[in-house]
Amino acid sequence: MPDYKEIFVKTDICTGCNTCKLACAVEHSKTKNLFEAMFETPKPKSRLYVEWVPENTRIPVLCRHCEDAPCINACISGAITRSDQGTVVTDTDKCIGCWTCVMVCPYGVIGRDKALHKAYRCDRCPDLEVPACVASCPTKALVYESVDTFSADRRKAVSKELVTGKGV
Amino acid sequence: MGNHYVIVGGSAAGMAAAHTLRKKDKAGIITVLSDEKSPPYFRPMIPYIINGKKKASHITLSGNGMFTEQGIDVRTDTAVSALDTAPKTVTTKSGEAIPYDRLLFATGSRPYMPETIKGLDTKGVFSLKTLADAMAMARRLQDTNHVVMLGGGILNLKAAFAMLEKGIRVTLVVYSPEVLSQLMEPEDAFLIRKALDNAGLEIMTRCSATDVVTDAGGVCAVALSNGKELPCQMVCVGKGVIPNTDFIQKSNIKINKGILVDKHTACNVKDTFAAGDVAVTHDPVTGEKVTTALWTNAVEMGICAGLNMAGIKTRYTGTFGIMNATQVAAEPFVSMGVVHTRNKDVEVYIEKSGHTFRKIVFNKKGTRLIGAVFIGDITNAGMYRYVIREKKPIDRFKSHLISHTLHYGHFM
Amino acid sequence: MSDNQQFQKFTSDPAVMQMIAKAKEKNIPTVWNRYEQMLPQCGFGETGLCCRHCLQGPCRINPFEEGAKTGICGATADVMVARGLDRAIAAGTAAHSGHAKHLAHTLLKMTQGKARDYKITDPVKLKKVAARMNIAVDDRKDNEIARDVALAALADFHEKETPVMWAASVVTPGRVKVLSGLGIVPKGIDHEISEIMHRTLYGVDADPVNLLLGGLRCSVADLAGCYMGTDLADILFGTPTPQVTCANLGTLKSGSVNVALHGHNPVLSEVIVQVAEAMQDEAIQAGADGINVVGICCTGNELMERHGIPSCTHSVSQEMALLTGAIDVMIVDYQCIMPSVASVAECMGTKVITTMDICKITGATHIEVKDETAAENAKQALTHAISSFKARKNRKTDIPEIKNTVVAGFSTESIVAALSKLNDKDPLAPLVDNIKSGNIKGLCLFAGCNNVKISQDINYTTMTAKLLKENVLVVATGCGAGSLMRHDFMDPSKTEELCGKGLFTVLNAIGEANGLGGPLPPVLHLGSCVDNSRAIEIAVALANYLGVDTDKLPVVASAPEPTSEKAISIGTYAVSAGLPTHVGVMLPITGGPLVTRILTQDVKELTGGYFIVEPDPNKAADVLLQALDERRAGLGLE
Repeated sequence: MPDYKEIFVKTDICTGCNTCKLACAVEHSKTKNLFEAMFETPKPKSRLYVEWVPENTRIPVLCRHCEDAPCINACISGAITRSDQGTVVTDTDKCIGCWTCVMVCPYGVIGRDKALHKAYRCDRCPDLEVPACVASCPTKALVYESVDTFSADRRKAVSKELVTGKGV
Repeated sequence: MGNHYVIVGGSAAGMAAAHTLRKKDKAGIITVLSDEKSPPYFRPMIPYIINGKKKASHITLSGNGMFTEQGIDVRTDTAVSALDTAPKTVTTKSGEAIPYDRLLFATGSRPYMPETIKGLDTKGVFSLKTLADAMAMARRLQDTNHVVMLGGGILNLKAAFAMLEKGIRVTLVVYSPEVLSQLMEPEDAFLIRKALDNAGLEIMTRCSATDVVTDAGGVCAVALSNGKELPCQMVCVGKGVIPNTDFIQKSNIKINKGILVDKHTACNVKDTFAAGDVAVTHDPVTGEKVTTALWTNAVEMGICAGLNMAGIKTRYTGTFGIMNATQVAAEPFVSMGVVHTRNKDVEVYIEKSGHTFRKIVFNKKGTRLIGAVFIGDITNAGMYRYVIREKKPIDRFKSHLISHTLHYGHFM
Repeated sequence: MSDNQQFQKFTSDPAVMQMIAKAKEKNIPTVWNRYEQMLPQCGFGETGLCCRHCLQGPCRINPFEEGAKTGICGATADVMVARGLDRAIAAGTAAHSGHAKHLAHTLLKMTQGKARDYKITDPVKLKKVAARMNIAVDDRKDNEIARDVALAALADFHEKETPVMWAASVVTPGRVKVLSGLGIVPKGIDHEISEIMHRTLYGVDADPVNLLLGGLRCSVADLAGCYMGTDLADILFGTPTPQVTCANLGTLKSGSVNVALHGHNPVLSEVIVQVAEAMQDEAIQAGADGINVVGICCTGNELMERHGIPSCTHSVSQEMALLTGAIDVMIVDYQCIMPSVASVAECMGTKVITTMDICKITGATHIEVKDETAAENAKQALTHAISSFKARKNRKTDIPEIKNTVVAGFSTESIVAALSKLNDKDPLAPLVDNIKSGNIKGLCLFAGCNNVKISQDINYTTMTAKLLKENVLVVATGCGAGSLMRHDFMDPSKTEELCGKGLFTVLNAIGEANGLGGPLPPVLHLGSCVDNSRAIEIAVALANYLGVDTDKLPVVASAPEPTSEKAISIGTYAVSAGLPTHVGVMLPITGGPLVTRILTQDVKELTGGYFIVEPDPNKAADVLLQALDERRAGLGLE
């Protein structure tokens, strides 16, 4: 499998501001402009979720585009496929809104568009160089990297922490 | 030259196994023998064929979803009539003997036609199982203004809606006290029942058909156990399915209702495997032996069988005896695991409102999630499935399971 | 990309561009760098959907989520944005009226002999204001009248039997009726501010319409604060008359002690100007050519309209003045002073002096300037400037050679005086006749700030150029005036080029009649941001002359680059006064669909005014022109 970039989350620096959710909805709107997007019908949907775990952890959750994606296997209409960019994509023309993908997704990141009666999820913003959520994150808690680069950066950070005795 | 994999059955389990084999073994020869005339298709989509919303070409399997591999020889209209495990050969109805290195039984199931109902062989009586059935129903529908459906299961409901959408009157005759009795307790189905009633579906519960009444055009009415007779032009039987094991019964493959398999989807005879509706598997929650008839399960098990056939030893984690999701009449629902709780020693939490119903079932000690029903709001259902299936310790997030506030963060 | 092209997204002022390049070269962070670092900005804040009014919050409402969402307390999106808007109006009102209250105290102390550095400079204005306030003037000494005026002013702050007099007595009789009918005549300026704080508290007003009416009432109190600020400043320091002067960074002089006065209230700057005059010799002895006082922001406007003191720069480019390296001290009072000036000053080896108890900045030197000891305090501050000059006199400065000619100082009084040269019996007649004839399509007030989100000045210049060509008489205040003066819009030699034929004819006739040997400048400088009152005064005079209310006049207002909450309160009182009012930056109300609709549409049925939110300056100009045509049609004019 080629080394695609993925969206990673640094939960230690997420402040739970939900900016990513707004940016995501705007990017998936018709006008791509916050002030106009708010008044669109149907309302554009954010495809990621910011969850909270007591006492103080905020966790943005979004489609992992799993290598062995249960939703692809489960889909009863053949609407879910893997794209050339490595993402798991729902073809809305084929989706019949049976929600089997919702039933099998262990991350809970497939949404139901009630107006359109279609499932939706993160598409990693195929038209953008950097996905809207990552670009919008004020604390850089969302990172768009290949697995290797992300792991290498994490290793470096942890090593520095060990050497200096300080958090980074 | 590589292995010759022969797969009997060209639907979910068989095709999932075929595509998995192709991914893992580029050299092997893969032959799929299907008794259906049409090339493989997404079977759950056939209700849309009845009302014309989809054409057969829209629901083709090949190239969609996980079915994207090339180089699989699918032979349609090729029913198998005999099996010999030594030497390893299957024989088609036309008499062709096909040798195999590894064999998969993915023969699926067929509708159960109760003998207690007389006249089911009449023209105009259907049971919706194949694309051919759906196309025949579509044709009959042109001269039909009332359909009586026997059985309140999910497939019948989907078919009923397909016909309601065409403006045809549909009456559902259900022996159980409520629809979807396989998937939930009667009292738990109230929201769905309400939605069905509002959508104009006529439902008669605690009632069964005794006779199909015919005239020159085929079916003209259904006689019921309560003495009433419903005039109609079409009958659809949806009373469950039975595994297709006909040609296997004479062989040395162990069968008990369905084909018995071990944890690695293998049958009792070397180099034979089974997957999908025909296979008897285990329910990870109850530990019971079960057969299911769900596309999603069949695909998963087919993938697992494909891996094992390719020599990649893979454990099949089993399927819930009960699991399904869909949306009927604008009411989405998910049902999985242990959901029939009457007189059972389990811990149950129920939360209902005017538009949502939620039932969460724990084991007796309350330490493990074993079942869930969601109606109206099915958010994060997949996480519940994961918790049930993986037998996750729940002490850290039990309250979130109950209050339906679980999210992925709780697993981290 | 050349630097200049790159900097065009920051500013359209070439002098400022040069300084941005310098800041980049010297690696000194500026407002534009900080803005870029701040991006992306929080969408909840941008749309007004973040509420921090209680400790259960912050609450955010996601405008994209289905269903009626509320904050924890149950406040809807509309309630949230209405509360936020009200508080912004209250803050703006507090600032303008705080400025006015300061002047009232100074005036009162002056009458009591406690503020010896101040005097009554314009007794005519004093009597005019006193008469408006029903204060007896005949046979009374100026000092006594002034005392009563100061007391009346102070009385307008608290809740009392009578309405706020600086509101009720400055609008048309028709407007008083309209405002009374809506229950939005303020009872006391401070009272209104305090009531906004009360009603927007956790668990008080949760009716968006009622909240907006409260906001409108507070905005009328803001008009009173502004009006009072103008009146009292004119009494103490003189009513403006046209002055020929100049603007932009080129007004700094490398060989002089450059003193930049920044902020708002002439109570401080007037004294500095007097004392600086007296200290010229001291500066010369220190090796300087003298003391060169320049203004920044509204202090610049106050000094320019009364004394022709040059304006150095405005608003978003305030740091750039320091980057020239030529400013020896920046003396500030309050409002619109970016705290960053202290660190930029430090980088440039100079200092900022704060003077007011309520406005201190870490890194700045504080010299408290009190009414009682103003000249003495001013001397102290200027001594710093001279010693600072000594330290930098051999250092290189980078003063852009850009200086724009400006004719400023058009008060209502000076405009009427100029018009009376055309018709001394009926001075408003020439103006009204030209409006009727179509030589003047209408009037547009430009007010407000610069905003880092917009290339500096571009909205002002784009819109003004378009409106002038369509024969709209443009008046400007505050940093809006600052913008236009730095782009030659107040240079009479440009009037012919910039204005449509009809407008030029009028401006030229007035200029000629007043012996200027040419036209008035294309845009009339009305002063600082409190001096928006002058625009209201002109509109009210026109309305009363025509016998209509202000909501019928072909008069519009625009804050195309607003930043401060003061711009929001001014915009709101323009709407209360019945004017179509444009804002060029999204207000944090768009998250409330009902509130947005009320402010941009429904309020028209109540006050006659309404907001136009349009970031595109070309479109905005068109919408304002349309609004003027609509008003003209309403009056039966072509």
